Amino acid sequence: MSDLLRAPAEIKYAEELDWLESVDDNPKPFSWRLSPKMVRLFIVGSERADGLDREIAPKWFGDRSFVERSIVTLASDRGLLLIGDPGTGKSWLAELLSAAISRNSTQVVQGTAGTTEDHIKYSWNVSMVIAKGQSRESMIPSPIMTAMETGTIGRFEELTRSTSDVQDALISILSEKYISVPELGSDRDSDNIVFAKPGFSVIATANSRDRGVNDLSSALKRRFNFVRIPVVTNKKSEAEIVRFRTEELLRRHQIELDVPPTLLDVLLQSFADLRASAAAAGSDDEKLESALSTAEQIGVLEDAILHSNFFGARELTARTLASSLVGSLARREPEDLAILNKYLHGVVEPRSTEEGGSWPEFLEGGRDAIATLS
Amino acid sequence: MSAPHEQSGEQPHVQLHVQPHEQSDSRPFASLRGQLQEAATEFAGGSDALEGILLGLVDDVDRAIREPLEIFPVCHHSPASALAMARRLREKQPKVVYLELCEDMAPLLTELRNCKLPVAVQSFATGIDGFPAEWSPLSVVAPITEASAEYQAIAYALDTPGVELVLVDRSSDHVFQWDARGEQPSEPADPDAPPAEEEAALHGDAVGVEIGDLRPRFAELEEHLLRHGRVRHWSEWWHQYVELPLGDSDHDTYRQVMFLIGSLFRRLAPGDAHRVRVDEDRERYMWTRMREHRAATGVDPADCLYVCGAFHAASRVEEFGIDGADTFGISPRTATKWQHGLIPSSHAAIEAQFGLAAGSVSIAATVWAKNVKRTRVEPYRLEGQAGGRKSRARKKTVAAPPPVAEIEAKDRLTGFLQQPPVLDGLDEAELLGWSVDIVRAARRNGYLSSTADAIAVFETSILLAGMRDRAKPTPYDFQDAAVTCIEKDAVPGRRDVRRLVEIMMGGDRIGQVGYESLPPLARDVHDRLAPLQLPLEKRGVQRALLDIAGRPELASCSDVLWMLRRLLPHGAARPIMGERKLGERSIQESWDLALGTHQRALIELGYEGVSIEQVLEQRLRRAAYAPTATAATVLEAVEDATLYLRSRRLADELGHHALTVLTTERSVDGAPEVLRRVRRLLAYYRTSEPVLPPWIESFVKAGYAHYCTLLPVAFTDEDATVRQVAAMLGFLFSMESLALSLGCDRTQLELSVGQSHPQDPSKTALLWAAQTHLGTLPRAELRARCDALLGNPLVVPSYPRYLSGFVHALEPVPGLTDFVVEAVSNAFGRLPDPVLLPWLPTLITTLRKDGADLAPLLIREAGRIFPGRLAALDAWVPPWLAQPAVDAARPGRGTGGGAAYAGRSALLVAHPQTCDAVAELLGCAGEWAPEGSGPGAASGAALLGRHPETAAALGALLGG
Repeated sequence: MSDLLRAPAEIKYAEELDWLESVDDNPKPFSWRLSPKMVRLFIVGSERADGLDREIAPKWFGDRSFVERSIVTLASDRGLLLIGDPGTGKSWLAELLSAAISRNSTQVVQGTAGTTEDHIKYSWNVSMVIAKGQSRESMIPSPIMTAMETGTIGRFEELTRSTSDVQDALISILSEKYISVPELGSDRDSDNIVFAKPGFSVIATANSRDRGVNDLSSALKRRFNFVRIPVVTNKKSEAEIVRFRTEELLRRHQIELDVPPTLLDVLLQSFADLRASAAAAGSDDEKLESALSTAEQIGVLEDAILHSNFFGARELTARTLASSLVGSLARREPEDLAILNKYLHGVVEPRSTEEGGSWPEFLEGGRDAIATLS
Repeated sequence: MSAPHEQSGEQPHVQLHVQPHEQSDSRPFASLRGQLQEAATEFAGGSDALEGILLGLVDDVDRAIREPLEIFPVCHHSPASALAMARRLREKQPKVVYLELCEDMAPLLTELRNCKLPVAVQSFATGIDGFPAEWSPLSVVAPITEASAEYQAIAYALDTPGVELVLVDRSSDHVFQWDARGEQPSEPADPDAPPAEEEAALHGDAVGVEIGDLRPRFAELEEHLLRHGRVRHWSEWWHQYVELPLGDSDHDTYRQVMFLIGSLFRRLAPGDAHRVRVDEDRERYMWTRMREHRAATGVDPADCLYVCGAFHAASRVEEFGIDGADTFGISPRTATKWQHGLIPSSHAAIEAQFGLAAGSVSIAATVWAKNVKRTRVEPYRLEGQAGGRKSRARKKTVAAPPPVAEIEAKDRLTGFLQQPPVLDGLDEAELLGWSVDIVRAARRNGYLSSTADAIAVFETSILLAGMRDRAKPTPYDFQDAAVTCIEKDAVPGRRDVRRLVEIMMGGDRIGQVGYESLPPLARDVHDRLAPLQLPLEKRGVQRALLDIAGRPELASCSDVLWMLRRLLPHGAARPIMGERKLGERSIQESWDLALGTHQRALIELGYEGVSIEQVLEQRLRRAAYAPTATAATVLEAVEDATLYLRSRRLADELGHHALTVLTTERSVDGAPEVLRRVRRLLAYYRTSEPVLPPWIESFVKAGYAHYCTLLPVAFTDEDATVRQVAAMLGFLFSMESLALSLGCDRTQLELSVGQSHPQDPSKTALLWAAQTHLGTLPRAELRARCDALLGNPLVVPSYPRYLSGFVHALEPVPGLTDFVVEAVSNAFGRLPDPVLLPWLPTLITTLRKDGADLAPLLIREAGRIFPGRLAALDAWVPPWLAQPAVDAARPGRGTGGGAAYAGRSALLVAHPQTCDAVAELLGCAGEWAPEGSGPGAASGAALLGRHPETAAALGALLGG
């Protein structure tokens, strides 16, 4: 067990990556550590027919063609923009891709309203500049610039959260593949241009709910290939994702707790119900503020697990699950609570009398939680 | 899933492990058998189910190869099959071609040449006999595309002299005989499936039959094959792993591989007992038919070719082969009468019907065209085939190389299975062409794509194909690449990149049935609409302008169009301007016509009769004589017969039937409709015919008696609404004069009104109105009753319901309009707000729903009564309030007013000349009585004394 709270993918799966690298005899583009096929295998998992001596577990669940298209994009000279609803696993896919390709997934720029061009290009160590003047030593490269210098993958999270002029700083990086540093002088022989090494590329993620806030310029759009990651609606694969992430979580917290499969079903079913009601809702007031993504589900489950581990009888119950569901989803005071209340009485109540199982307890827990909140 | 299945899913990979062996054994497949046996031992550790399956596969192939009657296995929408078929036909020149297609469809095949493919051969039955009635109409379609093996066989057989084409599969009737619809619950529709597009719905809800259905019957196997093939759907797998490797293989290899695949899918099918039984029965059927044909004609098996799906070629039934057992008895067809025709089809419809991936049939068509060009194989094509390119004039003399002598089949399978995966070389020019084309198409559809994108698509396609272990990007790889590089966060136009690629790869092709192959009815319709000078056979909407006044010959077109509108689904013929009503003729009409788009509907109409008039007549008759028909529906049929067919004969016949239906009816539900229609028909006959048709006279007479009888019941029946009772009264009152003139008795009506004792306030109001109309309830009395209602606080809340009764009474008693206005005004004036306000919406909805034609009457009357200007309102007194004052001022009427009477006699006495002159004229020699004596008994007695005859006669009568 590493002493990191959350190890990046390249550390977490270091052993697996090492092994894959050792058996990989396919051609590798540029400075890639793994061939495209192996990258795919690392992400979507191996099968018997792949003829490997050990099994590689799948780490990202979804259509294989998304992964293939993403890998191929990184091998071309365009950047990759993963776009989708919150919680669909965009950042996780980006992390896995950069870990597999360049063994470094930490060169990340986080896009916010406060992101400036300096965060994308470079900034200066002011005291050093005062002492020694502007030089390569006193320059602080951005993660993207570092990726260029090392020929690796740089990541830009939530690209559309940053303002348009900042976004456009990426245009020249993606097309010319260099950053010029005019402060270092304009002479031809001065070291004033940072060139990208082969293997450099950018993976950006964007939230499709943010569309219209800071739209990408068409010049920038042209330099990115868009891969749209859909919300998982297939119950089987969603269950797979939730189980996978929960196990990982339990391992990280060193908690030994059983998640009964029936409770997992209850969680999946209640999210499916809530999604259906959100789809049928006419106005924003009639739907929950939450996007009801898979990540949200994992959040609910995590919350419930932690709660029962530290405050409960070290056993996950439907009651805890219900109260953490209500607690995580009720964000606006009257509206969200009203929807959850309606859901409990209109859907869960009849179901608990019909099906029984964990539902009656779930209903009770939900009611209590709503009563506490309202 | 059982273990053997799991194991044998690995079958395609066996090739990696088998080692080449010397072919030492004399039997063709001995070495392959040996290798498979070894493989089975290696995988499963001994002779077990796996070995059984693997060796069984070889047995199946062996058996099919040894069959003296050459079996040609095909797969649907497989260009490789079509190409191999064309090649084989040129080489072998068979005399008889047996084809796996419903045998009753044979006569239609020659009509294919008049059509633009794809079209579907259809068997259709509405008059069903021997099947559950709810299955009606039965419909079977067999779509035929140009890129299919069966088309090659059909074209060869029909256009080569001396060649016979024999369809051997079970008839359409047997398709339903063997259908297990009744036994099995129908599968729930996939909720995620996108709604069917218009093109995809071309086949309607017909049952599809197809030659060469070849697909794993076993979901896990298909999934396994797709995953290992790194492909997304079955069509792509087939293209990649069968089409390409088989592309240029020789006949023997082709056959053996197809047999093997058929056998594989057959042996790995799950045990759906019904489906297996149907498949086997079909095989028995086909072989039995072939043996029958051979017995009848004595044809040499070497001259025959049996074209069937690879699945059926690997059959293990006893009847298999020309020497098979003759134990299968073909059940007789049911008495259902089948009609046959061709209907247009489309690639999308075929894909939707048979569960193929979108675009796969189009891609097959493109590949076929490319293969034909590349291999220079000359495909067969029906002489004069409509649509597509004109085929070059074939040199007939060259066509017949001598049939090749059969050589004994060798094992080609081992070689095929051992050959490394075929890597189709990268066709750079083609891929470049695609990349440039898609960018252009995207730009036309609003995407900001440029040459840079074309480069990226090209590069990405190759990279993607590489990742998926193929040198040449398939159309599907290309599609993925195009989506990756061009699709951004939003779709600017109507189509996204995925769809654009589909269109570029051939797009949907929609077939068309040529004029000559249309049923007589459809041809007739086209002939009769020819004066419109529109290309009606084309798809899409055409606007027709009919200036009937200027060109009287267009009137007949208009008739046809109105009938089509009545018969075809919505949208096929839609009037934009102009309407058809009884007794009216339009002088100009404009229509939106989409007959090309709805060609199937028109063709199916053709199964019902030879002309639209006949079909319409049949339909009207069917509607009128249906067990559920009511008098109203029959009258509607009468109206339609008059309106569209102008057929007095049919109208009379249906009218008489309406009479019968009416007299057996015991409810009054249809009364409003009956009233409306009878009124309309009466008005029409009165203006257009010299005398009323006898049926309508009888109808009025019978209706009068009928509704009189039902009236008391309807008044008290809770289920009968006010509107219905009002309509009954309307019938009775408005038809009264006609009915009385035909011998009805008014007493009947008076009696039935007298017997009516409704409880419901609205019906009570209706009854009062009826009584007023009949003269048994004076207006003053009616007014007094209403006043009493308003004055009584206990009944005030129900006053609005009385009012709604009065509003409905306008229909039968229009003379009461002023009273209704008065009643409504009183309600507004006197009803307390808690009663009035909740009632207002009800009044408005009642008026809008039931009184659309009554409201104008009310409003007109109100406009007459109320002052027109605001200023006049202050001084205005409603006429009903002014009435008593006027009455008092006026000299008294009637017998009661003594003072008035005195005034009048004083006037007479003052001017006796008038009276005298009248008396003289009448020959009455009266004299003036003195004032005050009054009209006493004396004058009466004097009169009697002067004329005793009357009294004497009365006395005689009484005394007698």
